[in-house]
Amino acid sequence: MERGHIGILPRPTSLADESYLEFVTTFRKFAIQQGFPTLAMTGEAALEKALESGQVARPAEGESVPLGEIRKVFSKIPFVPTWQRFVRSQQEMMWRRTRESFVKTADKTMADMAAAEASHPERIDIDPDFVPPDYTRCEIHCQPGGYTDDPLGGLVYHYGTKIFYEGFNDQDEVHVELAERTTVPDDGKIERILDIGCSIGQATTVLKDLYPDAEVTGLDVGLPMIRYAHMRAVQRGKDVHFKQALAEDTGYPDDHFDMVLSYIIFHEVPVKKMREIIAETFRILRPGGKFSIYEFPSNDKGQVSASQRFMIDYDSKNNNEPYSPAFVASDFKGILEEGGFVVEPGPALSNDFLQSLVATKPA
Amino acid sequence: MNAPGSMNEVPETLGEEIGGNGRVYFENVVIDNLIDALLELSGAVWTHHDRVLVLEKVLAAKGIDVSDAIEAHLPDDAEIAARAAERDAYVQRIFGSFIRRPTGDLPGRQAESQGDN
Repeated sequence: MERGHIGILPRPTSLADESYLEFVTTFRKFAIQQGFPTLAMTGEAALEKALESGQVARPAEGESVPLGEIRKVFSKIPFVPTWQRFVRSQQEMMWRRTRESFVKTADKTMADMAAAEASHPERIDIDPDFVPPDYTRCEIHCQPGGYTDDPLGGLVYHYGTKIFYEGFNDQDEVHVELAERTTVPDDGKIERILDIGCSIGQATTVLKDLYPDAEVTGLDVGLPMIRYAHMRAVQRGKDVHFKQALAEDTGYPDDHFDMVLSYIIFHEVPVKKMREIIAETFRILRPGGKFSIYEFPSNDKGQVSASQRFMIDYDSKNNNEPYSPAFVASDFKGILEEGGFVVEPGPALSNDFLQSLVATKPA
Repeated sequence: MNAPGSMNEVPETLGEEIGGNGRVYFENVVIDNLIDALLELSGAVWTHHDRVLVLEKVLAAKGIDVSDAIEAHLPDDAEIAARAAERDAYVQRIFGSFIRRPTGDLPGRQAESQGDN
């Protein structure tokens, strides 16, 4: 049955589903906030011991311990497979039960999305002939059907990521913070804003709240994401536009936007596509425009700890993040600069794992 | 993945990643299965804890003596059958991992699970 919302978060369709998923949220918080520091502490200590004993060769100045050596040392610690089991099982429990719950009211959700499109067709741009390329049709984070292939994917993503954020984003708090910290052009002219890889439009709608006179658009490859984002915005009275398109081929004119935001999109695409997205963003941003980027760490020169490298490697293989290792190894800032941007550090988020950059298109 | 062109039909089940044998992290796969069982059991216990809590609040608001009524309740055949079906699903959820991964020697295990190739 439809059980309404907690604030702006949809409730699972039964008390049993809600209780189970709340348990999964709390367990994830335990596994990430207590489990990962335990893994990091024991792993880093074991690695230091291996370096001291010469079992692992100490790298030269400016070099890092090879990932293979980190894996070898970490995998001998009994807690490591325990943590890996915890995180993988939690992820499976989260998606399985979330989808099972919301499938029960799928007809209503599909009807609500259709009704929103009928009431505000001018705020959603769907090309019926658009076919998502294969690289995007991937079950990222193990989400059933990924971002492209489950008609119910927007709602499943919404509640699934509520769990991923360990209960700290139930009311879009993370997206409020990053939208508030999105950098504005020096001249203050803000007529058009684009949120690339917007998923269900959580930051997109906040940008509209912050800049009510601007035309704000969210763009994503996933039709289920765009349809749910549009429905959510219409239901909440937010005059925001959504478009299904590739970030590397947006279809917008040159110099069109004053601000562009991207939140953790680049580690989800191959490096070749990353370069294309950067080139496309440079093209559609006007001179003096600002591109705010919140993203995984990259271009590792010792600033990413051994335990974080171990975790990213694990995450890539076990949480279906196929493109993230290549991203982390890439010179992301250098590629932005090659694309013509002037790149500076951006405002930090509470989540200090992410890097924050502001790329300006020279005037 | 879903078949292209079916974006208005919601499949009942979906997900290649969360289906199949799943992943193995321990040399002895029984440890993987025990942890999955423990997690499902913990989820089930919490779910029932929540339900009893809500039930007690709802009944208390109606002035009903819950303890006596529960002890006095005797299920009929239909309820017995329904509870048996629910119990089957419960056991499946908790202990299903032992069936899902009967052996640690699963295809692609080294490359996918441990990354130590």
